[in-house]
Amino acid sequence: MPDQKPETVRLTIDGTTVAVPKGTLVIEAARRVGVMIPHFCYHPKLKPDANCRMCLVEVEKMPKLQTACSTPVAEGMAVRTATTTVDDAHKSVLEFILANHPLDCPVCDQGGKCDLQDFSHQYTPTTSRFTETKRIFQKEYFSPLIETQMNRCVQCLRCVRYCDEIMDVKALAPVGRGTMTEIKHFGPHELDCEFCGGCIQICPVGAITSRLSMYEYRPWMLKRADTICTFCGDGCRITVQTKGNELIEVNSAHGAGRNNGDLCARGFFGFHASSDADRLTHPLIRREGKLVEATWEDALEYVAEQALRLKLAHSADAFGGLITSRCTNEDLYVFQKFMRQVIGTNRIDSSARYGHLNGVQALRRVQGTHRWTIAFEDIVAANALLLVGTNITETSPITGLKVKEAVKKRQASLVTMEALQPAIDTLSNITNLALQHFPTHPAQFGNTVLGLTKAVIEGNLVDATLAQQAPAFVQRLTSALQGISWENLEAVTGQTRTQWTETAKILAGANRLVILVGNGVLRHPGGDATVTNLLDLLILLGKLDKPGCGLGPLAEENNDQGAVEMGAVAEFFPGPAPLDDQPVRDRIATVWREELPRTPGASLTEMLAAANKGSLKALFVVGENPVGTLPAEAQAAEALGKLDLLVCQELFLTETAAMAHVVLPACSYMEKDGTFTNSEGHVQGVRQAINPVGDSRPDWEMFSALSVLMGSPLEYGDAREILKEIRTVIPGYGLLGPTPTPPKVDQAVLSGYLTQGFAGDAATRYAVSQPRQTGDGSFTLMFVQTLFHSGKLSTHSKGLLQLQQEGFLSINPEDAARLDLADGGQVKVSNSRGAITTTVKIRERVPAGLLWFPEHFDGEAKQLAEWTIDPRTQIPYFKLAHVSLAKVS
Amino acid sequence: MLKETHKAEIDDILSRYPVKRSALLPLLYLAQREQGYITEAAMQEIAGLLKLTPPQVYETATFYTMLNLKPVGKFHLQVCKSLMCALVGSDTVIGWISAKLGIKPGETTPDRLFTLSIVECLAACGTGPMMQVNDDYYERLTEEKLDRILADLRQTGTCSLKTGPFMWPEPAPAKPGA
Ligand code: SF4
Ligand code: SF4
Ligand code: SF4
Ligand code: FES
Ligand code: FES
Repeated sequence: MPDQKPETVRLTIDGTTVAVPKGTLVIEAARRVGVMIPHFCYHPKLKPDANCRMCLVEVEKMPKLQTACSTPVAEGMAVRTATTTVDDAHKSVLEFILANHPLDCPVCDQGGKCDLQDFSHQYTPTTSRFTETKRIFQKEYFSPLIETQMNRCVQCLRCVRYCDEIMDVKALAPVGRGTMTEIKHFGPHELDCEFCGGCIQICPVGAITSRLSMYEYRPWMLKRADTICTFCGDGCRITVQTKGNELIEVNSAHGAGRNNGDLCARGFFGFHASSDADRLTHPLIRREGKLVEATWEDALEYVAEQALRLKLAHSADAFGGLITSRCTNEDLYVFQKFMRQVIGTNRIDSSARYGHLNGVQALRRVQGTHRWTIAFEDIVAANALLLVGTNITETSPITGLKVKEAVKKRQASLVTMEALQPAIDTLSNITNLALQHFPTHPAQFGNTVLGLTKAVIEGNLVDATLAQQAPAFVQRLTSALQGISWENLEAVTGQTRTQWTETAKILAGANRLVILVGNGVLRHPGGDATVTNLLDLLILLGKLDKPGCGLGPLAEENNDQGAVEMGAVAEFFPGPAPLDDQPVRDRIATVWREELPRTPGASLTEMLAAANKGSLKALFVVGENPVGTLPAEAQAAEALGKLDLLVCQELFLTETAAMAHVVLPACSYMEKDGTFTNSEGHVQGVRQAINPVGDSRPDWEMFSALSVLMGSPLEYGDAREILKEIRTVIPGYGLLGPTPTPPKVDQAVLSGYLTQGFAGDAATRYAVSQPRQTGDGSFTLMFVQTLFHSGKLSTHSKGLLQLQQEGFLSINPEDAARLDLADGGQVKVSNSRGAITTTVKIRERVPAGLLWFPEHFDGEAKQLAEWTIDPRTQIPYFKLAHVSLAKVS
Repeated sequence: MLKETHKAEIDDILSRYPVKRSALLPLLYLAQREQGYITEAAMQEIAGLLKLTPPQVYETATFYTMLNLKPVGKFHLQVCKSLMCALVGSDTVIGWISAKLGIKPGETTPDRLFTLSIVECLAACGTGPMMQVNDDYYERLTEEKLDRILADLRQTGTCSLKTGPFMWPEPAPAKPGA
């Protein structure tokens, strides 16, 4: 959201007058008046390159034709795009391109959506004067997912520029020169990159295409559905293309959605997770110890009967519910309503518990919002960005693109704190772009932030008015931080005072400062305290409520934010509103025509404990897999084994579903309507692309059907009706516009926080946290999210499995050398909990002393993880382990 | 590793450019000087030195005809085929060499003495057809001259007909047999 209004310039295009901002290119000005100037190398996302000459136009008073894609408008300019001279120019450019083009449209996947076909149709004479032999490149294998057919290439270099300018991956090289230029990776090596699919999308012809849909379709055979990706909190708009009921391709149109048409590998190549042959297609009931196929009637009646029986025999609080935040808002809403109204308990939780709640709670506490006060536009427009605990490229790739844009195109200053080293390899690395990078051990984010706050205070960078308005706050923090010595901070974190001081100046000097917080903070102990301290930092700098400034926690799952807002967690009603918020309780009771349960909620870990003790008898699990996700110490399998009724609504027969009494096949995001709320708090429409697989049904429908059988019907015709009800409970929820309208800092909450709210835990938040001593090995193993997967869902996608299909241990080159480990060799990883053997991958980006293992393939490896539960927030942590390594020969 | 064998020279090259990437061509030359051609390992190492990706180095290395990505023979015959030379018969010169040595452009003789390459303009357009052999220019080529160049190269490793770089100011027309 840029501040100043740019100057306007008036010009005419083919006689039509148009006023555009100064600096606009002629090609864009023409687009405004509906004149499409043909082009290959130009793309609005990329810097003009003017290499193809297709866009030549006449400009009055200029002796020669000009390239519209690189000529900025000037006052009074008169542009002609359809004269005979221009037409001749188009013809000859095309004649040159076609001189070498193989004209293999019948077997080209681009046929029917190809710029070269369209322009040829419009401009070329039907005969060519060329008689020379055509250029022929040997067909070479390029990569498992991306195909090249270089004979079709028009050498516009859009793919190369996209991969560099937008992605910062730089995996593509125009090799050779002149007509013989072809697009390759490195020598004879197959492509190794982020596989964002961007080069496929931006190629104007069929020279780079997707192997997943190769030879499968003609564009006009495909049906399209615009929906939202399910693989992370960025909430990208995707267009799903189907033939019959078959998923053919996913892409995203330029300008579409919050992602502006950009995607990551998960969005572009991950869609086959929905059509995996392992999908559950029929309800299953346990009979004589075995899960056997059943009809929907039998399965639902069985669940309803058992639930009624158990409710009568015990109490409503003998029930619990667990739901994945991959579900739509509509699923989540009906789920919590079912649990609260039909069952009568607040004992529900969702996967937002694993981390996102830490962020939301801190925002609520300090600034009274449960959402970001900023949007992606503010990231792009920021002068300074502070990224804490996020390997953003791999976890939130599209938010990462906004950061890259801010730094690369708009010269924002980037500061990163992450367990990551700058290094150039096959994936982009956000720390390569950082002005200041703090390589941070996963246990040291809190302390590293303390150093920054101390530097702000000691550098006299505290906002002058704040010291007057909130003296107690400033004094308390000042004295607490004075009590911590630089030596101590330097020793525990390994950072330097100079760097903190420099960074403090950068942040203080920025008009627009955006802080993004990721899993490194949110999913680790003390996460909410660190987020709160970062909000304190914004307050101290006087920037918390300044336009363009704010803090955003990055959601891991696509609808973490929605899960909290729909009240699908133990501590919130829809809103989110705390269980003791009487006005909200009353409002919801009016809509539901029923009192809401008064007993306290129970989080995931409390429910597991209750099941283990025998006080929880029945559990509804929707798309969550505690047995497969949590380490053995969580005793999930033992707990679930004791239940009288375990109902799983699932896509696949997971470890948890395999233990269930009843398994109900659920629809994936491709098969249902509804809404998702992304990291920014933007509510977006999810649209059905294919018919439900087998007999699967949307999750809300199952709860609705059960409620009828249980005698308190929650009936909805479709997802829209649910959204309508959500809007009566949360006024104005999700007015599906193109951009979010972020909330403002609630000044009443903020001043309450500044007068006393901060004080309660200030002593613990402003103390150096000492790393845990475990007695285990000297390496810290982190279970991390990788770019090529999302939870375990994506491990059902055949495309993504080609990029990563098993676990491996990423290790720093020096550590590897010390232990004599070779890339691709085997290593034994062990601690007091167990041992696994896995493959070594040497990567410079892994800091010394740390190890990464993809959480998506943590099967065996999980046993190594430490299991801690924050006693206050009930958030379970299980993404770290201390281990020793030994080479296996 | 070049970094180990040529540390001082690399540091000197790097110190000359405010933008690291600008050191790419000098470093590629250094690599070629050492091994006769640019190996994949060298490209990877140079990428690391300049904070580029290997494809970015590869792109540049393949653009310039002066940079070899394959081993070449003892004498690298690089015939200019750009416009000016083409107008005065570079195709014919290429034909002679191919016939005399039995190699096509891009090939090396079995005795590894000669490699024939076709290259872009070498800035001797006024004195074409021309070729560069290793670091020397041979201009205004005729079949006679060519025979002599090839024979001399075989026997002595050099040839007095070499003219450059560059043949400027233009010498008086050579006397036959000179
Ligand atoms: S798919 Fe790979 S090569 Fe293509 S733009 Fe993305 S990162 Fe670059
Ligand atoms: S592959 Fe496509 S995008 Fe890349 S240069 Fe060729 S035509 Fe352009
Ligand atoms: S996984 Fe995230 S970044 Fe990737 S396409 Fe999906 S929503 Fe976008
Ligand atoms: S679009 Fe203008 S030169 Fe290519
Ligand atoms: S055209 Fe041959 S040297 Fe210039």
